Amino acid sequence: MSAADQPGAGSAGRDAAILRDEASTPFFDAAADGRLLIRRCAACGHWIAPYLRMGVTLDRCPACTSDRLDWAEASGRGTLVTWTVVHQAGRRTPDDEQDAHPVGVVELEEGPWLTARLDADGTDLRAGLELEVAFVRPGGGEPVPVFAPAWRPDRPPG
Amino acid sequence: MLDRELSGAAAIAGLGITEVGKVYGRSTAEFATDAVLRAVADAGLQVTDIDGLLTSNGMTGGGSFMLPDTLGLRDLRLNVTLSAAGATASAAIQYACMAVASGMCEAVVYVHADAPLTDRGVSSAAAYAGAASGRPPAGFRGVARSNGLVGANPLYALAARRHMERYGTTTEEFGAIAVAQRAWAAGSPLATMRTPITIGDHQASRWIAEPLRLLDCCLVSNGGVAFVVTSADRARTLRQPPVFVWGWGQGHPGYSMERGCEFGLVSGAGISGANALRMAGIPLADIDVCELYDCYTFTVLITLEDYGFCAKGEGGPFAASGALGPGGSLPTNTGGGQLSGYYLWGVTPLSEAVIQARGQGGDRQAPRHDVVLVSGNGGVLDFHGTVVLAAHPK
Repeated sequence: MSAADQPGAGSAGRDAAILRDEASTPFFDAAADGRLLIRRCAACGHWIAPYLRMGVTLDRCPACTSDRLDWAEASGRGTLVTWTVVHQAGRRTPDDEQDAHPVGVVELEEGPWLTARLDADGTDLRAGLELEVAFVRPGGGEPVPVFAPAWRPDRPPG
Repeated sequence: MLDRELSGAAAIAGLGITEVGKVYGRSTAEFATDAVLRAVADAGLQVTDIDGLLTSNGMTGGGSFMLPDTLGLRDLRLNVTLSAAGATASAAIQYACMAVASGMCEAVVYVHADAPLTDRGVSSAAAYAGAASGRPPAGFRGVARSNGLVGANPLYALAARRHMERYGTTTEEFGAIAVAQRAWAAGSPLATMRTPITIGDHQASRWIAEPLRLLDCCLVSNGGVAFVVTSADRARTLRQPPVFVWGWGQGHPGYSMERGCEFGLVSGAGISGANALRMAGIPLADIDVCELYDCYTFTVLITLEDYGFCAKGEGGPFAASGALGPGGSLPTNTGGGQLSGYYLWGVTPLSEAVIQARGQGGDRQAPRHDVVLVSGNGGVLDFHGTVVLAAHPK
């Protein structure tokens, strides 16, 4: 269980509950089962991230312009492309360092890049690091993907 | 008309800079009006000589709806508000030149003004909202907010980190850019931050979004800057030394954000710069001064690489060599740039380029300043524009 999962972790920003909307319902339903759904073009088979930066979604396939996008299950495996550790903007409080958290761009096995939280305690982050998806529920709301190293002493593969 | 015929056909004949920086109590519209009046006076023209108007919006509007009324501009032949985010200024000058060269207009003013800062304790970061606070919106926008990837800082951090991972670029090399620009700022009366800094100061500045520190990030400023563009022939008859526009280009990569994407590694500067130099008909070695869009230190680094001033991946060592600062081989962001001078969405590098090309840089004047390369960059490396300015006609 990550810090964001713990009751009373706070209501602001990172720990606030996320609500579903119509467009995100299939994604959150699957996430509740521990499955990562992403988009796939029904016309050409191209895989597309469920959301892009700032949470924007695509209505059409960028490879062929078809508007027939299905939901399809991804393997949940990927590699780390890049990451940042976000600090509290404009605040200089003791909570700042505690709140600082890594967020990464993960290249999914299927090809799309997904921005997601990283759970990498005790692991040096580096480009190419192999990751696997899990889900956490900030503030008890909808589950969001969090990627952790695929090989860890405390969590053997398989 | 071939671009080589357009090269040098137009010139920047007037420059107007209001008070810039932490200047409170004036509206965006007031800054815009003030900047236009200063630019027209600088050129030795009357407001009634202006027959084209280009404007751009910052955080607080600034577009052209009321400006013609305020200035008494009648029967304009061009009046458009443009947007290419931080690349707008570099693009606007291109359209101003095309309007003049085509005969559409005789004298075009481009103005950008903004006033996001208030004196009521609102921080720079708050002016550019992005703090992950409060209840997130529903759905995937909520996921993005919850992750903290909101606003420009963390997204540029992702780009910078990727460059570091691929090429071994270091935070100290980013710091070298901040230090060089602050050294230039010491000589600029327009600059907000003029106290010299060291690499140690840079390393001690707090994290914003790792690997970006406070001193990797640009300022937030109030103010307005305007330019008068007219034909090269007419510019020669006016009050100021003409600054001829030799070449321009744009490059917008459209990052796929999937396997094979070059986000963080290559920017639109490659295409944009090559086309601008081809139009100008000069090699890169002819560039005396660079005025590069610097929302972050990293932006300068990747732009230098993509323009070809050093090999891809060598931007860090190039910056750390001291090439960019006073006395260096490639004077860059000679007014302190947007990191230390003032931040007005790309009119900062463009205005400093005009000052340098004219030889009016005072304490910060680069020794050689015949040809100046200017860049604009917008979004998260989504937009790029380049302008080649010169003190001499073609």
